[in-house]
Amino acid sequence: MADRVSVENLTVAYGAHAAVDGVSLAVPKGQVTVLAGPNGCGKSTLLRAVRRLHAAQSGRVLLGETDIARLKEKELAREIGLLAQSPSAPEDMRVEELVRLGRYPHQSMMQPWSPEDADAVESAMFGTGVAELRDRRLGSLSGGQLQRVWIAMVLAQETDVICLDEPVNHLDMAHQIDCLDLVSRLNRERGRTVVLVLHDLNLAARYADQLVFLKEGRVVQSGMPEELMQEELIGDVFGIRCRVIEDPVHNRPMCIPMRNTSPRFAVQA
Amino acid sequence: MSQAITAMNRRAYFFVGLFLILAVLMALAGIAFGSSWVSFDRIVTVIMGAGEKTERLIVLQLRMPRVVIAILAGGAMAVAGYLLQKVTRNNLASPGVLGVIDGAALGVVVFLALLSDESNSLVTSIAWQPVAAMLGAIIAIAAVFVLSGRQASSAIRLLLFGIAVAAVAKAAVMILMLVGPIYRTTQAARWIAGAVNEVNWGEIQVTALGLAPVLLLTLLVARRLPPTDLDEVSARSIGLNLPVFRVAIFALAAALTALAVSFVGGVGFIGLMAPHMARMIVGRPVIPGLIVSFLLGAIMLVGADFIVRVMFAPVEVPAGTVTAVIGTPYFLYLLMRKDRTNG
Amino acid sequence: MTRLPRGLLYCGLLVLLCIVGYASLTLGYKLYTPADIWGLLTGASGEAQIVLMQYRVPRVVIAPLVGAALGIAGVVVQTLSRNRIASPDTLGLNAGASFAVVVASVGFGVSSMLGLSAAAALGALLTALLVFAIAAGSGGLSPIRIVLIGVTIAGLFSALVEVVLTVRETMLDQLLFWLAGAVVDRPLSLVSTGGPVIIVGILIAFLLAPSLDILQTDDQTAKGLGVPIALVRVGAFASIALLTGASVAMAGPVGFVGLVVPHAARAMVGLKHVHQFIAAALFGATYLTSADVVARFVIYPLEAPVGAITAVVGGCVLVVLLRRRAA
Repeated sequence: MADRVSVENLTVAYGAHAAVDGVSLAVPKGQVTVLAGPNGCGKSTLLRAVRRLHAAQSGRVLLGETDIARLKEKELAREIGLLAQSPSAPEDMRVEELVRLGRYPHQSMMQPWSPEDADAVESAMFGTGVAELRDRRLGSLSGGQLQRVWIAMVLAQETDVICLDEPVNHLDMAHQIDCLDLVSRLNRERGRTVVLVLHDLNLAARYADQLVFLKEGRVVQSGMPEELMQEELIGDVFGIRCRVIEDPVHNRPMCIPMRNTSPRFAVQA
Repeated sequence: MSQAITAMNRRAYFFVGLFLILAVLMALAGIAFGSSWVSFDRIVTVIMGAGEKTERLIVLQLRMPRVVIAILAGGAMAVAGYLLQKVTRNNLASPGVLGVIDGAALGVVVFLALLSDESNSLVTSIAWQPVAAMLGAIIAIAAVFVLSGRQASSAIRLLLFGIAVAAVAKAAVMILMLVGPIYRTTQAARWIAGAVNEVNWGEIQVTALGLAPVLLLTLLVARRLPPTDLDEVSARSIGLNLPVFRVAIFALAAALTALAVSFVGGVGFIGLMAPHMARMIVGRPVIPGLIVSFLLGAIMLVGADFIVRVMFAPVEVPAGTVTAVIGTPYFLYLLMRKDRTNG
Repeated sequence: MTRLPRGLLYCGLLVLLCIVGYASLTLGYKLYTPADIWGLLTGASGEAQIVLMQYRVPRVVIAPLVGAALGIAGVVVQTLSRNRIASPDTLGLNAGASFAVVVASVGFGVSSMLGLSAAAALGALLTALLVFAIAAGSGGLSPIRIVLIGVTIAGLFSALVEVVLTVRETMLDQLLFWLAGAVVDRPLSLVSTGGPVIIVGILIAFLLAPSLDILQTDDQTAKGLGVPIALVRVGAFASIALLTGASVAMAGPVGFVGLVVPHAARAMVGLKHVHQFIAAALFGATYLTSADVVARFVIYPLEAPVGAITAVVGGCVLVVLLRRRAA
């Protein structure tokens, strides 16, 4: 299967500290790849570096065969879309206005608004189920609805690759599943390559085609969830003792955390 | 108390002592210098009750009042600035943004406009001008608090209301200064710029009487200041009603500023610089911080007035000039640093 | 709030502008008749027409021009700083321009209107750079920070201005009126220098409009959509500096126009910048022209500076905005 995105020996450093340290990764086309790991492992930084929001000190990111460093801003924006971790917009902006912003990379001085743009916006809004909210102000939406609108905006960009940086952290359980099911459907029905950063290991295991564990800026292992969800490996990467069982509903591995192995939280006697 | 905290406090109080000595020296210098030099030992003699008549005149009627009012005003401004910066958790806050100074300016200009006759001289004594300034300042503070209503609990929003009130006051000052003839205009402009003029002991007594209780109150309240770094809910859970407390602090800062500007005019920069420097020197301990702020503010204003008298004699350049000129680069330096602002 | 169709709105504003412009021509210390105005339009050269050309026509041209420029500058400032209480004057640009004028006249003896105006424009530009540098250098355009930086810089320059004026008392009268912001006693020739600068500023703003739409979101999202953020910010600052500089050169530092007008524009046409600019230009022009008319009567027979009127109105509007938590 062709790799849609390949990361080669990428290093992103803040001063002396390397947040991403010599990472090589292959993101297969048309699949959902999930980056997971403990706090500070560099998963968000990696995602942002893939989208070239951070400059890399060394290494490169390839989109198919092309080094993304060679692409212009708008070109890159037509290939890879990113939903930021805490996006914000004015409360009095309307839903449709926000989704329309997603067409920016496709517009230029000469052609302001074309039928293709209109179609993309409509398709995005229907695909995410926010079409009937189109005239509502962003401030009047619930958390779950708002997140769908942001996804609609990224969808309207019509990129092959969609990156989402911790898209469900602030949502309640129902909306978390809602949102991730939507992303999963977009992957299956529209063939988009998806790269997700998720905090919750079980959600990661449930939705990933390829799961990647990161620790201290390096890739520990990548592969199918079944391969990575092993008690010892999880203990190494996340610092917890756990039991891995099979989720009886979705036939995916599931991790039950037990008492912490890390001495960090040991209570002084 | 852990060792680190005691060491911090000890260090802080060391600086209190240091600056106390500096302040006294500065005050003596302020009394000594001028059109004629009075040596330190002569000053002490005069204070003790003896000395020649001209010396006594110079020291007791001309120099000392000036220095004393500068100490009181500079110190009060600095304390006001410290309180504001603490409660808004922002190093850039200063008494100037509360609208108090502009309100006081409006009071002065109204006073001059109403109580001058056609020949452009004042019908009553100029001694009433500070009262007008205080009234104007108090009305401005009251307006800010009344207008902000419930939003007074948010420091930022209070500052914004202050900006609005200041703008209206400034416009009114502008119009009045245009409507009136030149005497009033320059007089008012001088005051607005910040001038430590000739004051008499009566006025100093009034100021001191007003300041003493306010400063005492501030010290009492100071013990409660550290938790203002917290958010509202956390502060409440340790028993501090933050919104009410904030309003009280703002009121204190406003009262101090009003008292300071009534005689001296717009020396707002001291309220910005002194507390900041005090915190850099003393660190987090609050009561030493307040005291050092007061001392620094006093030193600054006495120093500024001193520079004005020594360098620009016989022209009476307002001390506000000097504080503004020194304040500018310092302030820019302040802004350039990647400051950690908590608010 | 139901919105009128935009075309209708723009026409309505245009009509309002013409009415107010007419009022500005006729009303004042001396009232002119419609016949006088007609004479002006048809090129008659009676005494009334000469006086009109010298005293009234300049202000009727300058006021709307400056109002439009400051309105658009205000929209750009508020988007750029993601802060609806920001405006060119709360960024200290007006105060910086005043200071430049005072320095030019006291320090360098400049006394011609053109010279002082050039100084004003330069002052506004340099202050814009200063604020830009400080904000960029200290790592953030957070709303609170930028308001405090701007207001303190404004206070700083105002203090310096007051100080210089007390030392050189003779300059006080001359400059005082101008320092409040006034369109009176301004030669029409100013428009030939200021006008083109304003036009360039407006053009840049319109070019940036689509990018500014996106800058209303956060930086990461904007970057993700391919917006060249740094470039857009530089362009926006240039536009603000040009618009404000030219306005200060023509009318002195008129305050709060850049604060009030964008709110009105947004209420009328929504968030799309192309529409905000048009609405802001029309509304700003009408607003300042009306303020100028009011300025002639508020302390009749004396004239108040238009800046005092806008400050009072602006201050009250700011209070209302704050109370309604619209900002």
